Amino acid sequence: MTAVLACRGLTARYGGSTALSDVTLEVPAGAMVGVVGANGAGKSTLVNALAGWSRGRPDISGEVRLGGATLDGVSAHERARRGLVLVPEGKGIFHELTVEENLALVRAPEDSAGRHVFDRDEVLGLFPRLGERLRHRGGALSGGERQMLALGRALLAAPRVLMLDEPSIGLAPRLVLDLLVSVRGLVDRGLPVLLVEQNVRAALEVVDRVFLLERGRVVGQGTAAAMRDDPRIVEAYLGALVR
Amino acid sequence: MNVGQQLINGLVLASGYACVAIGWTVLLGAARLVNFAHGQLYMLGAFVAWAAMDRAGLSYWASIPVAVVAVGLLGAAMQRLMGRLMLEHNLTSLMIVTLGFGYVVQGGAARIFGGEPHQLQSPLARGSIRMGELWLSGQDLLVFAVTAILFTLVWFALERTRVGATVRAVAEDPKLAQLFGIDASLVYLGVFVFESATVAFAATVVAPHSPILTSMGFDEVILTFVVVVLGGVGSVLGTLVASLGLGLFTAFFGALVSPAYTTAAAFAVVLAVLVLRPGGFAAK
Amino acid sequence: MSGPARAAGRLAALAVLLVLVYEMPRWLGGSVLVYSTCVTVAIFSVMAYGTDMVLSYLGEVSLGHTIFWAGGGYVAALLATRLGANGWATAAAAVAVALALAVVLGLATLRTREFVFSLVTYAAAVVAMEVTFNWAALGGSDGIIGIPKLTLPLPGGAWSGSSSAELWPVALALLVLTVAFIHRFRRSRLGLAALMVQMHPDLAATLGLDPRQVRLRVFVISAPVSALAGWLYAYQRAYVGPDMYESYFLVLMLTAAVLAGRRVLVGPVIGTALILLQQNYLSLGGDGDRIVLGLVLAGILIFWPQGLVGLWRLATRRRAEGR
Repeated sequence: MTAVLACRGLTARYGGSTALSDVTLEVPAGAMVGVVGANGAGKSTLVNALAGWSRGRPDISGEVRLGGATLDGVSAHERARRGLVLVPEGKGIFHELTVEENLALVRAPEDSAGRHVFDRDEVLGLFPRLGERLRHRGGALSGGERQMLALGRALLAAPRVLMLDEPSIGLAPRLVLDLLVSVRGLVDRGLPVLLVEQNVRAALEVVDRVFLLERGRVVGQGTAAAMRDDPRIVEAYLGALVR
Repeated sequence: MNVGQQLINGLVLASGYACVAIGWTVLLGAARLVNFAHGQLYMLGAFVAWAAMDRAGLSYWASIPVAVVAVGLLGAAMQRLMGRLMLEHNLTSLMIVTLGFGYVVQGGAARIFGGEPHQLQSPLARGSIRMGELWLSGQDLLVFAVTAILFTLVWFALERTRVGATVRAVAEDPKLAQLFGIDASLVYLGVFVFESATVAFAATVVAPHSPILTSMGFDEVILTFVVVVLGGVGSVLGTLVASLGLGLFTAFFGALVSPAYTTAAAFAVVLAVLVLRPGGFAAK
Repeated sequence: MSGPARAAGRLAALAVLLVLVYEMPRWLGGSVLVYSTCVTVAIFSVMAYGTDMVLSYLGEVSLGHTIFWAGGGYVAALLATRLGANGWATAAAAVAVALALAVVLGLATLRTREFVFSLVTYAAAVVAMEVTFNWAALGGSDGIIGIPKLTLPLPGGAWSGSSSAELWPVALALLVLTVAFIHRFRRSRLGLAALMVQMHPDLAATLGLDPRQVRLRVFVISAPVSALAGWLYAYQRAYVGPDMYESYFLVLMLTAAVLAGRRVLVGPVIGTALILLQQNYLSLGGDGDRIVLGLVLAGILIFWPQGLVGLWRLATRRRAEGR
């Protein structure tokens, strides 16, 4: 069975330093894959490279495939259109646009084969707080609400696979678990998700498989159950605590 | 000096400034691009309309879309050439490139249309309306009408349509827009064509009131800049208000002090504003 | 060869080069056109160096250096015609006025960002032109004519000249002094500070460099460079007018600065020489030349941002790899 999203030998360089080195992973259909590791391990670089997107100008090499088809030479916005949807770390919505406008910016394509379609009502049902604040500017929302909005608009894009980069940052602990559980609910309905998380403990609660990154390399992988007791995972978790 | 008449003059000037400035400020707001060729595009719009009438025998009304399309296409061509630089956000180089383009347009226009002054004939220019002691020409009324319609349309498009939201999104964060599936380069093309088309349109309605020369144009950017600084980058309402202020200032300063130094005076005011309250223009 | 010997050798080579360049117009025929072109290349190069200082070392596009260029010319014209001042006095006055204007403009633009800085300097130039055009004391639209010969009193007699052939030594001397000045500037604390602020602003901040102070200083000292070019131009033409504010000079300055490549020491000279050679020997008519100049400026930045030097380096590197 072909994975929905796969990469092989993915390498990323910024000037002289190597941020990612020969990373190979895949996200199977209907599964949630977690990427964990300490600060600076290259987790964000990884999802950004998969999305073909960056705020810098990295040198990327390696193979990325979406639904079996290669993404070589495909621009970031085209990848998003094809269903490889990334919710980036930090700023994921437009502050000057209203909640309504942020949601309306994205339109699902007519041909929805292989994609997971969500309509507005479903998204507002998932995040009722957004429905109460439709006319508010994105910048006026709380941190948690912004994450919901970022996730909501990502769903409206009818993704083939969803990538979330550190969705827990800036969220109150109770909200973190709520959010991850909501996402798990979507996965159970068939949506493949790639989750980058520094909060290893929370991630292990919801993911199926885990990839451990250290200094840009995959140093461990396995099922969530198997990796839970892996000493390196514990180290990464502690490393995240002592920031 | 007749206050009422100066008021009318000021309003007429204001409408002209507003029409010329709207494209520039939308472009600046959306793409952070200063188009130094703006004045030359204005000049070209006027001359294409004049040539359409003078050499092809078209009516004034038919020459307007000709000018708009011609200059709009030129704008598209310019943007395509600058495409890579725009995506790299190399603002310094982009500015100089537009300066170069403007110079090319000026040279080209001089080559094609010559260096003599001409008059863009509008059937409305001769008709006038008198209200007691005050009068304004039919052309002035046209400028008012065009300003009102144009600004309403632009405001509506920016604030109430999905296309407008897309433009505002790219203006805020072009990188993030990519993740939303938005092709920023297409938006930049659209905004650039909007700027060149509207400035040409503005030229066809504003230029009839004085002789046109291929050398005119370098000054247009200054007045536009004044309007944008005072009104706020990318703000439709701000452009209107600032144009009003500048128009009235020009009319009264010209009548009371000296018409020759109005640009200098306006600039002095703008400079004072920039120094005292940099606002959105402050250095990081 | 040891250090001092190598330095002496380099100086000797430069001296020989200088003599060759000095004799060059005579070898090229010594006609009026040749001397005129050479003098104009020298003058316009110096003018371009002023803008280039701001462009290369501050990373900002100053569109207002025409103010200093025209200012230098007008000061020379006024003092020479009204007061009969000699060349040294008019030069000193040109420098002083340029410094004063630059301080005002520099302070006004201290807190402005890239495009606003450019727009404000541009607008300042337009305003300066408008004022000059309308002010009778400055000759209004007619300008100032009848500028006398450039007279430089020296120990042992005064030197004077007005034709291009006569002014050539002065023009060359001015160019050489400017290049030497830029050379010193690059290695000076201010020059290095300017580069660091431009390239690594965070590092500069940790070193305690105030970017505004650096900006102001570089901007201010770049002004007299363009002003001295205008000073000599006044004597060469024996006339100054508001046409010195024309966009032609602005576009020429920018093209000369980017044509050869950024921060190439003799870049502006190469750029100016190429442009003027095209204009004087391969002219397509006034408007045609304008089109060419604009296309070169836009074209370099779009297709070969590294300039001609960059292209040359690319070509030599490719050839080396090809082997």
